Amino acid sequence: MPESPLVIENLSFQYRTRPEPAIENISFELKPGEMLLIAGSSGCGKTTLARCINGLIPRSYRGKRNGRVLLHGKDVAEMQIADMAQIVGTLLQDPERQIVASNVYNEIAFGPENLGFPRAEIIARVEQAMKRLRIEHLRDRETFNISGGEKQKVALAGLLAMNPSILLLDEPLASLDPASAYEALEVFRSLTDEGKTVVLIEHRVEDAITARPDRLLYMETGQVKYFGSIKDLPTEINHREVKLPAEWVVKRVRQMGEKIDKRSSPADKTESIQNVERGESLVVFENVDFRYGDETPLVLQDVNLTINRGDLIAVLGPNGAGKSTLVKHAIGLLKPTRGHVLVEGKDTRTMSVAQIARVLGYVFQSPTHMLFAPTVREELEFGPRNLEFKKEVMQQAVKESISTVNLNGLEEYPPLGLSFGQQKRTTIAAVLAMRSKIMIMDEPTAGQDYANYTHFMDAMCRPPAEGAQSLVAANFAATMFITHDLDLAVTYANRVLLVGDRHVVADGPPEEVLKDFDLLRRYRVRPTSLLRLNLELLSRTGRFLTAEALAAYD
Amino acid sequence: MLVTWKYRPRNTFIQRLDPRTRWIFLFSIILALTIPEIWDYRIVFPLFVLSLTLFFMARIEWKDVRRAFIYIFILVFFIVGLNALFFGRGGPSSVLDPSSPVLFFGVTVSKAWFAITQVTRMLTMALLAIPIPYTMDPNIYGTAFKRMGVSDKVSFTIDLAFRFLPTFARDLTITVDAQRARGYEVEKLKGGLVARIQRLAPLIIPVVMQSTVTGEEVIDAMDLRAFGTAPRSWLKELRYAARDYFMIALGVAIFITCCVLKWGFGIGGFFVPEFFTRLVT
Repeated sequence: MPESPLVIENLSFQYRTRPEPAIENISFELKPGEMLLIAGSSGCGKTTLARCINGLIPRSYRGKRNGRVLLHGKDVAEMQIADMAQIVGTLLQDPERQIVASNVYNEIAFGPENLGFPRAEIIARVEQAMKRLRIEHLRDRETFNISGGEKQKVALAGLLAMNPSILLLDEPLASLDPASAYEALEVFRSLTDEGKTVVLIEHRVEDAITARPDRLLYMETGQVKYFGSIKDLPTEINHREVKLPAEWVVKRVRQMGEKIDKRSSPADKTESIQNVERGESLVVFENVDFRYGDETPLVLQDVNLTINRGDLIAVLGPNGAGKSTLVKHAIGLLKPTRGHVLVEGKDTRTMSVAQIARVLGYVFQSPTHMLFAPTVREELEFGPRNLEFKKEVMQQAVKESISTVNLNGLEEYPPLGLSFGQQKRTTIAAVLAMRSKIMIMDEPTAGQDYANYTHFMDAMCRPPAEGAQSLVAANFAATMFITHDLDLAVTYANRVLLVGDRHVVADGPPEEVLKDFDLLRRYRVRPTSLLRLNLELLSRTGRFLTAEALAAYD
Repeated sequence: MLVTWKYRPRNTFIQRLDPRTRWIFLFSIILALTIPEIWDYRIVFPLFVLSLTLFFMARIEWKDVRRAFIYIFILVFFIVGLNALFFGRGGPSSVLDPSSPVLFFGVTVSKAWFAITQVTRMLTMALLAIPIPYTMDPNIYGTAFKRMGVSDKVSFTIDLAFRFLPTFARDLTITVDAQRARGYEVEKLKGGLVARIQRLAPLIIPVVMQSTVTGEEVIDAMDLRAFGTAPRSWLKELRYAARDYFMIALGVAIFITCCVLKWGFGIGGFFVPEFFTRLVT
């Protein structure tokens, strides 16, 4: 009988720089044609386990390792990297991090070239991989010019060209729009059905289970909490740590007899926003067209839009639809080719970006693109100083913003040395300190796992107590965020903009915009279980609620 | 992720050349001017005309290369040119001829002619180098060096290095936008040199951090796909055509001719032509 492709026996690992083990006593075995879903929040040991499987531990990361990882009966620790690469293909979280060649064909050929295969064999492998993933049409395209979903297929084709028996997929859905994520999961399933052994690491369990994994391994603090079938709801899984289907969360909340937190309701947040004066127009787009160059196609066409006081807007739409281009017009980083953008009644063409920044703060997607100062305090003083705040006003603004985003005690820390979540909060605090009236966030949850981003968005958008205002409602007249995560729009927004084909194709309350599934699918937004359940219960709830809050409705 | 230069295929003589030919020709001209230290306008000016002709033959749109030329002009005219004009640095000692007539502010006829020659030499080399990113397929950077006998690792390093600059430019654009959104205005830099450099920190630090992260990501991605574990196959094949042999022969002939003229016949050194002296005095 042939050896199992992957056997893990009593595996433990402790990084040299850490006082406690990252993973402890992990054992399992996978057969050909089997898919294992590994779930858990940040720090649970998923990534360490993946590094043990693909050989980065013990080669690149030093520490104390016990137990064994066997690939087709051979211990990983005793294998050469070239042999490993032909057995385990690792797909990283962000395909951009994985692609090294400038053209699709060369990218797919990169692995076989490194293994020194003859030219004819490389060509055969590349052609086969492209055909398998139906990306032959991309062969001559530049890798940086293709969409996120296409990049991931190219990265996957690069792995398939090395013909590994095991595919290790490390949070492969993180950078994809919902429709691309679904397509990717279909591909993973079909590869499993063809006999590959697939290890899918994903905290978005709701999405991952559409690939019909055979088993689930759920981890917490380096240990296996559950390993087994995925058909029934395992009670060991914490719905606050990983994203589960809404029905599972409802069932679990009821089973566990948890107290339902009424503040989970976005309607409470909406009411708190409604307490402030609504209706004043803060930013107005009038017949806006935009193109990047004279000979390039329009990116925005005839956009008419008003951002009002009290709005908490989620901007949805596929990659390349013009979402970021739209919001960059509001801050004045881009000026319309035709039409006008008015900020508090003034045309952005007549204003500098610095002038607009007094009204509108923009938080970029990646904190590393803006953090630079030696301390958090100096980072936060940067904006107010540029806007020529008086010293005492600046100090007060910085103090308040540190306290607001709960960075107390970290004032003298270097921002680039903080955790990703803390860095993200620092960028928000930097905008808060500028005392802008409107905050715009580009993909506020990017790079964070479910537990962290839910915590972050709750801190931003949920009132801390009954009758209180949320952080954004208390500090900004309006807030806008771009996201691929439909559930963020369901849970936190009071208005949804759907952007596609250069236009704003839908604009209204989430309950109105998100009920049109045909429209959502046309613009690559995939309805989620939370949205479906909310729509089912809408006649009784009267508003969209979180899955936990829906547990109150039988 | 690394991005590439604004390359697009054009059906020109220059782009039909094998990439190795273009590197060999470029290096031949650079070596021809620098190794035998050619300063004679009778050699430098024809080479400049040859470079200019080849540049126009590449048929690159001005808007594509405008920014690159602005940087080159600043470097060549304001840094190298003015340094040569006022101080006569970077050339043979005869430039500092004390008997040369003074034109103004210590600028002699000799230094003035040297500045013109120096700028022309630099532009001759730049005109051959600037079109390369715009007219050479980025997929064959590494292959070209490998086929010239360079090792796998060095060839791929050169390939990555070429794509590093546009990636750096992309990251810089994002960072400039992010800081402008915080009220930062590059154009309002105040104070002395040190203060101005300090004021650039909001741009420099994030971009350097981003570059470091990108570099680490590229290394991990290459490791996981067995780079450097065995002698590498290079998929792309390159073949010389008659035009390549012609251009390589021309480049090598220029190099040899310059060496022979300088070291065999003493022609090619610095001197001020009489027509220039008459013109400016």
